[in-house]
Amino acid sequence: MESLLKTPGRKPLRFVGVFAIALILSISVSVLLTNYLWTAPPSPFSGGQTTVDNRSSKGFGQPAPNLSNAELDLHIEGDRAFEATFVTPPAPVNAGLGPLFNNASCVACHVGDGRGMPTNGSLLVRVSLPPGQSQPHHDGSIFETRSGKSVAEASVSLGNAPPVPSLGTQIQDQAVFGVTPKADVEVTWKEKTGTYGDGTAYGLRSPLLNITLPNGNPLPANVLTSLRLPPPVFGRGLLEAIPESAMVDLAHRQAQRNDGISGKLNHVWDVRQKKLVVGRFGLKANNPNLFQQNAAAYVNDMGVTNPLFPEKNGAQEIDLKTLKAITFYTQTLAVPGRTQLDNPMVKKGEVLFTQANCAVCHVGALKTGNHPVKAIANQAIHPYTDLLLHDMGKGLADGRPDFEASGNEWRTAPLWGIGLTQAVLPYSGYLHDGRARTLEESILWHGGEAERSKETFRTMAKTDRAALIQFLNAL
Amino acid sequence: MNLRSRPNNLSLFLLCPMLLAGILSGCRDTATSSESTAPPAAVNAKFDRQILRDFVAAVVVPSNNQFAQQASMLSKTIDAYVAAPSATTLASAQAAWVKARAAWEQTECFGFGPTTSLGYDGALDTWPVNETDLKALMKSKAPLTATSVSKMKETEKGFHVIEYFLFGQDKRRQPTDLAQRDLQYLQLLGKDFASVATDLATSWSKGVEGQPAYQEVFGTAGEAGNTTYPTVQAGTQEMIQGMVDSLDEVANEKLGKPLAEKNPKLAESRFSLNTLTDIKSNLQGAQNVYLGSLPDANTSGKGLSVYIAQVNPALDSTVKQKFKVAAQSLEQISEPLETAVLNPKAAGSIKAAQSAIDAVRETIEKDVKPLVVKS
Repeated sequence: MESLLKTPGRKPLRFVGVFAIALILSISVSVLLTNYLWTAPPSPFSGGQTTVDNRSSKGFGQPAPNLSNAELDLHIEGDRAFEATFVTPPAPVNAGLGPLFNNASCVACHVGDGRGMPTNGSLLVRVSLPPGQSQPHHDGSIFETRSGKSVAEASVSLGNAPPVPSLGTQIQDQAVFGVTPKADVEVTWKEKTGTYGDGTAYGLRSPLLNITLPNGNPLPANVLTSLRLPPPVFGRGLLEAIPESAMVDLAHRQAQRNDGISGKLNHVWDVRQKKLVVGRFGLKANNPNLFQQNAAAYVNDMGVTNPLFPEKNGAQEIDLKTLKAITFYTQTLAVPGRTQLDNPMVKKGEVLFTQANCAVCHVGALKTGNHPVKAIANQAIHPYTDLLLHDMGKGLADGRPDFEASGNEWRTAPLWGIGLTQAVLPYSGYLHDGRARTLEESILWHGGEAERSKETFRTMAKTDRAALIQFLNAL
Repeated sequence: MNLRSRPNNLSLFLLCPMLLAGILSGCRDTATSSESTAPPAAVNAKFDRQILRDFVAAVVVPSNNQFAQQASMLSKTIDAYVAAPSATTLASAQAAWVKARAAWEQTECFGFGPTTSLGYDGALDTWPVNETDLKALMKSKAPLTATSVSKMKETEKGFHVIEYFLFGQDKRRQPTDLAQRDLQYLQLLGKDFASVATDLATSWSKGVEGQPAYQEVFGTAGEAGNTTYPTVQAGTQEMIQGMVDSLDEVANEKLGKPLAEKNPKLAESRFSLNTLTDIKSNLQGAQNVYLGSLPDANTSGKGLSVYIAQVNPALDSTVKQKFKVAAQSLEQISEPLETAVLNPKAAGSIKAAQSAIDAVRETIEKDVKPLVVKS
């Protein structure tokens, strides 16, 4: 100021004039921006340019609309592979099932490219010995069951999830004729009750596993188990295309909050590269990419050997072309766009979702980076996940570590399309094992890092809870 | 799954008007702006939700009921065949299978809801048959009971396994071909099949496992409290997408794949050589949805056709005409499809039918859908 006063006449005047114009401009821009931010509708383009306008039961199964014709052909080839039901070899069509398996096709568990049902046939159980009781490293080799049948098991962790003798790391409770399944799995549900802040009662259920080995004995008590519901598969290419740096940045920003919410990356075995890389897929982010995720699902879930996980003698029941096609398919499934953008309850629910800190982990806006598949590269997306592992508390813990994920940690589930769940698969459940019958229940199961957010929801007014749920249903 | 058809790009639907709205009104009103993409007639005519209610009441529920009745008849004729295998009893069971198949294939457009999630579709109509395991099971002494059959793998029960027993390879089954154990299994399969078909029909009409009737869930699309179909648009989109996907599958998979690979083993009902009839029923099923009626059961309601005729009469005529042309084109293919795909002279007629069916699909997706599904 002093210098201004000392300066002769016109200069300060000119400066003041420019400053005033700049001020007016910046205020205008600021007002415009603020106005925009306050009034801008939420983006319906949940998957960027891969978004489709489809709120039907087929909403998870659409090809991304920005594929070229040649890419669409490849997507369709992958779609056929995804739908194919395998049968016991020899067979004229779709030979390759088993000998041990959980189900006979991709789509049988990922119904309509979404999740599975919390019932036998869809649910599967991962098992391992406690860390320290380690068997030799196991990275996709052939595993022999007690009956002498060879079973390839893929993508299992190094060291901290040692395979169980005669069971490996996944219980295939189905087998082709003449082969004994690894075990019989029975799931029953235990009920408990709770009350909302306003006194309204609610019920929660959790699974009880009753696993019987072929010899009639129960599963030994020291074996760690983890019940899993098949997760949706659409939009996964976009998640593959999120730069690792963005995930690191999210983890860093969460750590700076100092409020107990702090995610971390998993580092998992990449079978092709033969090294540890960042994990993204699977409920504990224990798979690094969709190629490996699909190859592992073929061999682990259906007993179908493939180029990444072949038989001991190198034989494969599907070829590289098929594996590549199905990988492309899962990379290029569209994301359904949001609905009810102008609904006041939905708008209110979104605000409450953010205020309750849900959006710290269920991150609403991310950008994909470069990717060999152009359609999913450099997209502004709204997945509502950070792809990071979080401690979700004892209530949800499976107690079974997986690479760097502890027994308490789970990868944040993407929430895009969650509102279509009951249209795609009525009566299905939520969370890693399908225990939650409603979205309310799934929130109420949150604990650990999400305990405070859960409590915020639990103690909300009834109308606010309804608004938050309506927001989720509109995703 | 959505094979050949390409969905509407949301960005095309919404981006341009949104940008425009953004410029004109500070991005305040996307709902109004998105309607500007539809022709004026559609904006003025009100889509009547009675169409959704009639879709379930006059098409879905009666189609499922009709199928359950045919499934029950199939089980009864199998009982008669098993009790006294003869040319007559076998022919009767085969005819019942074909009838049940015709009823089932007409439900293809609405295989959503409990039909999928409660496993009915998988238990009734999984393809292909696991012949290796089936033969091993028949050679074995594994107990065959109603319970063991209900838990059998989907590839070892349902339509195509019953078809395998009743028709044999390429429809060459002789009445006395089947061993006693085959007959025992066939009979159990028939009963399981009828039971599942009944459950399926009940899940839509009355509800099962403590769940509400699914016809209520769908029929109340857009009403307060309906979280499965929170908007009427979601319901209409379900109707449209069902037709689109079924027609797409018929043209490009059921007709297209066996022809492209010259492989009759890829034909859907290859034991009975009934694939072409399946396809005709699929086409009929899509037409039933469009017209809001089930001719086989004499039911009718307010179909999509009524609405389209109000807002774009020429389009309604086009759709009807294209359905007719597609049906005629299927009649030009020489039976059975399983043989026709190997006959170079028949390829033209199959390709013509593919095109005609795909043309119906395209008209519904490109012209009808924008009039009834607005974002």
